[in-house]
Amino acid sequence: MIKDAYDQTISSFTVRIERQDGPGSPSYWETFDVTYESDMNVISVLQRIAAMSETATGEKTTPVAWSCGCLEEVCGSCTMVINGKVRQSCSALVDNLLDGTDQELVLQPMSKFPVVRDLVVDRQRIFRSLQRVEAWVPVDTYYDMGPGPKVSRAQQEINYPLSECMSCGCCMEACPQYTKVEVVRADGESDADYDKRVNEAYDTQFIGPQAISQAMLFNSHPTGAQIAEERLELLSGPGGVQVCGNAQNCVTVCPKEIPLTTSIARAGRAVTVHKFKKWFGKS
Amino acid sequence: MTQEMSFFERHEFMIRRLHSLSGLIPVGAFMVVHLMANASINNGTESYQKIVYQIHSLGPAVLVVEWLFIFLPIIFHALLGFVFIFQGRSNVSKYPYQANYRYVAQRVTGMIAFFFILWHVLQMNGVIHADWFRETIADPIGLAQFRPYNAASTAAKALQNPIVSGLYAIGILACVFHFANGLWTMGITWGVWVSPKAQKMASHICLGVGAIIAVIGLSALVGFYKVDIDKAEARELEMYEQGIKSGTILADPHKLIDSQRADQENH
Ligand code: HEM
Ligand code: SF4
Ligand code: SF4
Ligand code: FES
Repeated sequence: MIKDAYDQTISSFTVRIERQDGPGSPSYWETFDVTYESDMNVISVLQRIAAMSETATGEKTTPVAWSCGCLEEVCGSCTMVINGKVRQSCSALVDNLLDGTDQELVLQPMSKFPVVRDLVVDRQRIFRSLQRVEAWVPVDTYYDMGPGPKVSRAQQEINYPLSECMSCGCCMEACPQYTKVEVVRADGESDADYDKRVNEAYDTQFIGPQAISQAMLFNSHPTGAQIAEERLELLSGPGGVQVCGNAQNCVTVCPKEIPLTTSIARAGRAVTVHKFKKWFGKS
Repeated sequence: MTQEMSFFERHEFMIRRLHSLSGLIPVGAFMVVHLMANASINNGTESYQKIVYQIHSLGPAVLVVEWLFIFLPIIFHALLGFVFIFQGRSNVSKYPYQANYRYVAQRVTGMIAFFFILWHVLQMNGVIHADWFRETIADPIGLAQFRPYNAASTAAKALQNPIVSGLYAIGILACVFHFANGLWTMGITWGVWVSPKAQKMASHICLGVGAIIAVIGLSALVGFYKVDIDKAEARELEMYEQGIKSGTILADPHKLIDSQRADQENH
């Protein structure tokens, strides 16, 4: 959807940024004046701000940190909260953002992940969740197993949209059941010890809509389905699909329009059947 | 995972699913039957009294049924409900979407339902049925007002104050919304309605079911408000005496209002 370009009568606009110097340190706000150019996105705004490194009141400051990769909304690394809503900064166009009456941009890091610095957050929990539900195709052999089974057209049409997930974090940021977990590194703690503690802290917390959806994707992949029951067991483990409270924010904010609540209901059904089989069946 | 998990963490799936189920069976099912029974007041004192006779034909077992199938499940569902409420962080101001409002409403109505049910049960039932409790605590502060063998008149008396019936209306609507919306979320939780189309249709059906139950629930309030209390008391006494004679009800003067009870105990 392309909106009418902002009919620009301004020469500059303000950008308020919630900054943080490092993990665990307090956050603070800084305001910047950015010269208006047409067709800017939030990344280009951040580039200007880094080049200036000067606040609206003329004080020198450190460059604001952010991260980005693809610049075309497929890698997810530039996700942040822009004017109160979580989205990708590379596809957030200034002309659209200033479209309202408010001529200000407000940039914040995602609130559900630990801040590394400024707008950069640690998204490790997202990838840990994928590990927790074994969201992959299990092939651990060097032998040529021949071609895999064919996937029907109908199944492809269900699977493809799910495979578009870029692990950006939007759905988790907007989910009221997904709450922040932050483990602060102890003095002199080794990477291995720290990672172990972090994973332990993550492993009982909600896996989030994205991992549920990915588990459903790999459960409908013909080879991935070999460990379907195992995944269902993991999906019903601590922090599993049962934590969802059906607020359905995830599906509304997902930039890839992935049918997350359909995946959640599919997971709910599959887990129900799995548990009945486990308790009353032979398997 | 090497970390020690708590009981709640180890059994989170079962606990959440039992909570979900308990909202429908027995709590939700009881609520629907209860509201329908109350609505029978609109057919007159007798209809309502007869239903209450039927319940109390169980005799002392009523207490067991009450605790096992009503009080304990509600306590189970409500206590866990509060735990879940405090585990979530609602964010409707940032994400003002319809389903998100319903997520918050589900929690708000759950809490209203909790306090309403607590008050309602104390006011009508009183929980403790011993004479000493009635005389020293319940009667002076207006608890345990319902008498099963004067069902219509005592319920009506308790609901004459418009503030009380107003609060009842709020409580009933909160419970019904919570039940109807809970039915919808339950269908997703258990995987009954999966596709967006099915979820939408289910949402409309749950709304319809909720509207019908709300009308039934509120009609009872109107019905009780219209009861002529003196007439109802007289009719209830007649029914009691007839019932005792024909052996269709169990004699229990405790279940009568004090003015009639003294009389019956002297028989
Ligand atoms: C007494 C205080 C109550 C509290 C605090 C409470 C709380 C809650 C909460 C927080 C949920 C959402 C759980 C989740 O989605 O994870 C819920 C679900 C539900 N509640 Fe209640 N509730 C209460 C009473 C009731 C009553 C009286 C009924 C029935 C009339 C009821 C029926 C339901 C149903 C059907 C669900 C849906 C479960 C699901 O989504 O799977 N609740 N309740
Ligand atoms: S499901 Fe959508 S919102 Fe969630 S991580 Fe994947 S792409 Fe992002
Ligand atoms: S539907 Fe479930 S997973 Fe999605 S935002 Fe709501 S609570 Fe979170
Ligand atoms: S930079 Fe890859 S999604 Fe924005």
